Amino acid sequence: MSFVDRLRSIVGEKGLILDDQGKHPYLTDWRENYLGKALAVVRPASTEEVAGVVELCAAEKVAIVPQGGNTGMAGGGAPHEDGHEIVLSLTRMNRILEVDPIGYTMTVEAGVILKTIQETAAEHDRLFPLSLGAEGSCTIGGNLSTNAGGVQVLHYGNARNLVLGIEVVTPQGEIWNGLRALKKDNTGYDLRDLYLGAEGTLGIITKAVLKLWPKPKDNATSWSAVPSPAAAVELLSGANAASEDNVTSCELMGRQGIDFVLKHIPGTADPLSDKHDWYVLMEWASTRPRREGDNVQGLREKMESYLGEAMEQGLVLDAVIAQTEAQSRALWALREGHTEASKKEGPSIKFDISVAVSKIPQFMTEGLAAMRKALPECRPLPFGHVGDGNLHFNCQAPAGWSKPQFMAYEHAISRAIYDLVVSYGGSISAEHGIGQIKLDELAHYRSKIEIDTMRTLKRALDPQNIMNPGKVVRV
Amino acid sequence: MPDNVIQPPIPTAPVTPAILDALRAIVGDKGLILDEQDKQPFTTDWRRSRSGTAAVVVRPASVEEVSKVVKLCYDNGIAIVPQAGNTGLMGGATPWPNHSGILLSVGRMNRVIEVDPVGYSMTVEAGCVLQTLQETAAKHDRFFPLSLGAQGSCQIGGNLSTNAGGVQVLRYGNARNLVMGLEVVLPNGDIWNGLRALKKDNTGYDLKQLFMGAEGTLGIITKAVLKLWPASKDNATAWLAVRDPQAAIEILSAAHSASEDNVESCELMSREATEMVLRHIPGVQDPLKADTPWYLLMQWSSSRPKADGAEGMSEKMEQFLAEQIEAGRVLDAVLAQSEAQTRNMWKIREGVAEAGRADGPGLSYDISVSVSKIPEFIDKGIKVAQAVLPALRPHPLGHIGDGNVHFGFGAPKGMDRATLNQYEPAITRAVNDLITSMAGSISAEHGIGIEKLDELAHYRSKIELDTMRTIKRALDPKNIMNPGKVLRLS
Repeated sequence: MSFVDRLRSIVGEKGLILDDQGKHPYLTDWRENYLGKALAVVRPASTEEVAGVVELCAAEKVAIVPQGGNTGMAGGGAPHEDGHEIVLSLTRMNRILEVDPIGYTMTVEAGVILKTIQETAAEHDRLFPLSLGAEGSCTIGGNLSTNAGGVQVLHYGNARNLVLGIEVVTPQGEIWNGLRALKKDNTGYDLRDLYLGAEGTLGIITKAVLKLWPKPKDNATSWSAVPSPAAAVELLSGANAASEDNVTSCELMGRQGIDFVLKHIPGTADPLSDKHDWYVLMEWASTRPRREGDNVQGLREKMESYLGEAMEQGLVLDAVIAQTEAQSRALWALREGHTEASKKEGPSIKFDISVAVSKIPQFMTEGLAAMRKALPECRPLPFGHVGDGNLHFNCQAPAGWSKPQFMAYEHAISRAIYDLVVSYGGSISAEHGIGQIKLDELAHYRSKIEIDTMRTLKRALDPQNIMNPGKVVRV
Repeated sequence: MPDNVIQPPIPTAPVTPAILDALRAIVGDKGLILDEQDKQPFTTDWRRSRSGTAAVVVRPASVEEVSKVVKLCYDNGIAIVPQAGNTGLMGGATPWPNHSGILLSVGRMNRVIEVDPVGYSMTVEAGCVLQTLQETAAKHDRFFPLSLGAQGSCQIGGNLSTNAGGVQVLRYGNARNLVMGLEVVLPNGDIWNGLRALKKDNTGYDLKQLFMGAEGTLGIITKAVLKLWPASKDNATAWLAVRDPQAAIEILSAAHSASEDNVESCELMSREATEMVLRHIPGVQDPLKADTPWYLLMQWSSSRPKADGAEGMSEKMEQFLAEQIEAGRVLDAVLAQSEAQTRNMWKIREGVAEAGRADGPGLSYDISVSVSKIPEFIDKGIKVAQAVLPALRPHPLGHIGDGNVHFGFGAPKGMDRATLNQYEPAITRAVNDLITSMAGSISAEHGIGIEKLDELAHYRSKIELDTMRTIKRALDPKNIMNPGKVLRLS
């Protein structure tokens, strides 16, 4: 039997895509930065089928590219161009296996779409806090494999903090059942956290026990113009106490991004009458329902009095608090529209970086200067999760420039920004991971000891180097 | 505890006079302890239930010294037992009886290197005492949440190496959640500088998580960047008589929203555990004098100062308790009216370990199950243990919001330790079988060390143990780093 026939005998006709047109969506990443080839796209329907496919590949020394919703930013889910790999898509494994509202957990298969998980939690009066732009198409397996971030990390942590247990198919095709719904379990090495964020290079996550939270019953959303990034950091610091630790999001944006959003995203409007250099979108959420009556301090009232004080101190120049759900959504549309607006505006280089929160203001000043020094006409587009120290420190091409014209500057701009990030003790990939796109950057900036330790782990767990080879770390 | 665990093979290379000279050249005379009596506090665990040997206790003063010591040991195949505050419960920091290598104590590395109140982080050396770190954070109007019985003597390096738990896990997570970066000396003496003060960093494998909870078997944690939180400004603490453990879970579930997500701690106590403390710990008062079988100690904290005339934590809690009494979940309750009353309530909870020792021979299991299964576990667990030894006196308590029960038993009245020990293996097997059948953990916070080496091997799948072994062999090919702890290599 040929290799493909043996694959077919494991996953059936439904689980195998061989024709070029059918394969295409799995071979290119959504940003269309990569276009690879694959022997086949394999779509197993169960953990046992995944294990069967991996075992076969291990015996035949065929490399596997595991893939979730294929919405990654770093090319981790895209195959190479040599055509010797298979793509193993988890998207048919999309069942929710159990919801335990009392224990605040949900057990799911890797291919469940993030939004489905959010909605399922909500049906049980619970919250699954992971929330990001691609939530309508990304899958939880990919979110966990890349330790995804998003807009609620400030309050709930990264994807790795939202997981109790996982099931993994190892590079040998064995199934590790680590599906424990336990908040505490000090029994040996923390294997779970090794697979989370490994981008499919150590094994394939097939199921997970997720943590749930109480669903917020009272929200407040505000849009504030602030004089500087330093004011934004200070505004957030005070907000923690003022909200009784109920700040769930705090997003910083510059005027450039707002201009792009207003220009390219239909239905958006500037919430404030004057233009300002910097804005902060802040969301507070509490699980305590809003009570009716006089003198009741709901979150909106608390936020109002806090922003009033901040205005007196000069931390806020002008502000608006959403009075309705629709207004809140309109404010969020300004933040969420950044990626699309930037794409429509033309080419850009994306930097997903982080520094210590207290260093954001200084980094912002020096980073913008470094970017402009590398290309004076560029249009910096910084925005991000200020409370996490995480900035999308993007560089938009000068107006009217073509992609090739702009990309000639990519290396110089990248080197300038990453050198600065590293001099700040920061991270060159805060949420998006390494994949293919930052493979060389990581090798350049991390110590030999760190890279060697990663290699040692990779070689030990995947001695044949068949699991997503050529991603994260070169063996 | 009886010495019923058979020692795995460990490296036997001796510390020769030449090696000793080399060690002295690295750490100086101040960093070496050779006298048998002076070594004893390091080679015996704090419960005095287990003791081992070490050719020498080495106390480096810096990461460079740690690195050189480890390199020397690596080159000569000498085994190392890393140790911090030596307050562990599982023997992880105690050498095996025929350990011929060194014991490396990080206790002299006790500097707080940097506090960044704006960035909510603190960089510290591994030998800092936990309580010192709590106090340092407080001086900067910040809060470091890790809190446990041994906080006056345990050290942060040990807390991180064992992924310590404690009473604040409910809100802040285990020790591993309180860390942003680590510095680790690897088994070959290399220094890995992962001291990044970053909340987000997706750049390859998360090495720091691997070292946390590894109990010093993969490397020695020498520094850490810790996360800080805002200091609390408004607290409310109450002692509740509750209907049963099921009611306790429901109370906690409702408390999240009533407190606006400000539940800081929620500890379930049985009447038996409470009475044991009242019997043995001087100066502790019974807050309720209610003759009911279950109690809950609950604390709410907010970093928002109570505004004049506004509802604070106490008012919210009072209203909540009234609702819960009405619902029949709470039978009686008292809200602490002073700092002294709050401390009295906490003393009951914190006094259990000491009271247990004073009460005579006993057994204790540090287990966890998913939160919703706690009532079923307590019920069945008492039955399976008493099926082995009917007169066992259960005194369970625990971190109910974490699913973590300290499932303790006193020996039947008048039974001595030696007799109890004869029953222990059967009771342990019964309790751990039950936990495993309920998909729980046989060591929720205390780790594996020596004590649970065989239990872990018995209950975990071959694939899981093999994966751990693969990692251990890859990172510590000479098996010199705390050998024979956590897992058997063959």
